[in-house]
Amino acid sequence: MNKKKVMSSIFYGVVLLIGMSSFLWADENPGTLVMETIDRGLAVLKDPSLKGAEKSQERKQRLWKEISPIFNFEEMSKRALGQHWKKRSPEEKKEFVDLFANILKDAYIGKTDTYSGEKIVFVKDKQDDKDYASVQTKIITNTGAVILVEYRMLSNAGKWQIYDVIIEGVSLVNNYRSQFNTILMKSSYKELVQKIKEKSGKETT
Amino acid sequence: MRRCVVGTLFFSLTAFFLVTMLYAENMPITTSEELADEKLSEDSVSDKDIAVTDTEAESDETGQYGMEAETPLVKDTLQPFNRAMFAFNDKAFHYFFKPIYTGYNSMIPVQARVSVRNFYTNIRMPVRFFNCLFQSNFKGAGTEMLRFVINSTVGVAGFLDPAKSKFHLEKQERDFGQTLGKYKMESGTYIVWPFLGPSNTRDTIGLVGDTVLDPLTWVSWFFLKPIEGVGNYTYESVNKLSIDTGDTYESVTKPAIDPYTALQDAYLQNRMKRIKE
Repeated sequence: MNKKKVMSSIFYGVVLLIGMSSFLWADENPGTLVMETIDRGLAVLKDPSLKGAEKSQERKQRLWKEISPIFNFEEMSKRALGQHWKKRSPEEKKEFVDLFANILKDAYIGKTDTYSGEKIVFVKDKQDDKDYASVQTKIITNTGAVILVEYRMLSNAGKWQIYDVIIEGVSLVNNYRSQFNTILMKSSYKELVQKIKEKSGKETT
Repeated sequence: MRRCVVGTLFFSLTAFFLVTMLYAENMPITTSEELADEKLSEDSVSDKDIAVTDTEAESDETGQYGMEAETPLVKDTLQPFNRAMFAFNDKAFHYFFKPIYTGYNSMIPVQARVSVRNFYTNIRMPVRFFNCLFQSNFKGAGTEMLRFVINSTVGVAGFLDPAKSKFHLEKQERDFGQTLGKYKMESGTYIVWPFLGPSNTRDTIGLVGDTVLDPLTWVSWFFLKPIEGVGNYTYESVNKLSIDTGDTYESVTKPAIDPYTALQDAYLQNRMKRIKE
């Protein structure tokens, strides 16, 4: 009788462990990863000690620290440059990745200044391949409008990172790629880099 | 008499753009078979100086990229005109509409502005209803009918939207350009209209179709002086810009390196998604 009790408690313990481990494993799930990152970002935006226009710079820094690790800027740059990517030398590539990351930072972190309680809801995630996944979320604005945002992710040795963001069907990377293509059709790569530098220079001042 | 002149002018312009479209040499973006074609033509345009070995590497890489197709070449035969129009619209936005709606924003609370938009949306129900029917989306048509009945009565002539908040009936965003797209009409060349913004041949025809289906057109045609009609449309667009359209425009063009291409690409990608829906 007693022995049976011990056995069953061990059995339940094992079941519980298995259950918990699957819960721990769930951390690597792309959907959970995205939502956790978003929650951390929102926590920074809602932090009362970081509210107000004068704290804007500090808030942006913190936010960038929280969310930037989930982006794979190299992959994004590679896709945005498309066929022009492999003509670049390693130094040029590195410079471009930094510049592009900077542009995205200015563009999208800058928008958070007007954050006013918009909600972000998880819709679904889908793993297309072993290494590719997409996570669909929606933003609900204060006026009740719904904006669909999809994150395309790529797994790099078990680490999921975002390589494209699709807002209402508009892919961020494709959008930049058509811009870069238009510019590169008429002018050289140097001029493109110059243009990007001018842009990020203007944003920071 | 004056209306006749305006009408003739409008139709001759449309005809002009249609003809230009016919003579355009680039391929339009629509079906997937064309995508393959597209890719070839793009390669030949931009990679003239690259050796054959490179093309091989290219196809290798597309395989590696896997999940999405290369952006097809956009048909933009009217580019000089479009760029000029884009510049004009951008100036009109920043120096005319934006100051107006910022002032309007500070005076009128957001709920009131949303109510005004709801009112216009409710009146425009026939546009969405008929396009649902044309796209043989009967469920959508039913939803629109129900929404109209609920919102016109319980929603106090459409100022409120109880159909959405209480009955969870979502607005069906259907337009005639989308209908034409569903019937496999090609998108044609990209056009930027003054004030109306980005469009293409198909969506311009769509816009004409929607204008005919729009009860507001008939009201302003028969009961309003031209100036009142224009005032009405201006007010509606200012109101719409003040809610979120203005923001959307800025979030596309502001972070862009080449705002013209950014807006064009965003417009085309967004339209493709809507037609697929």
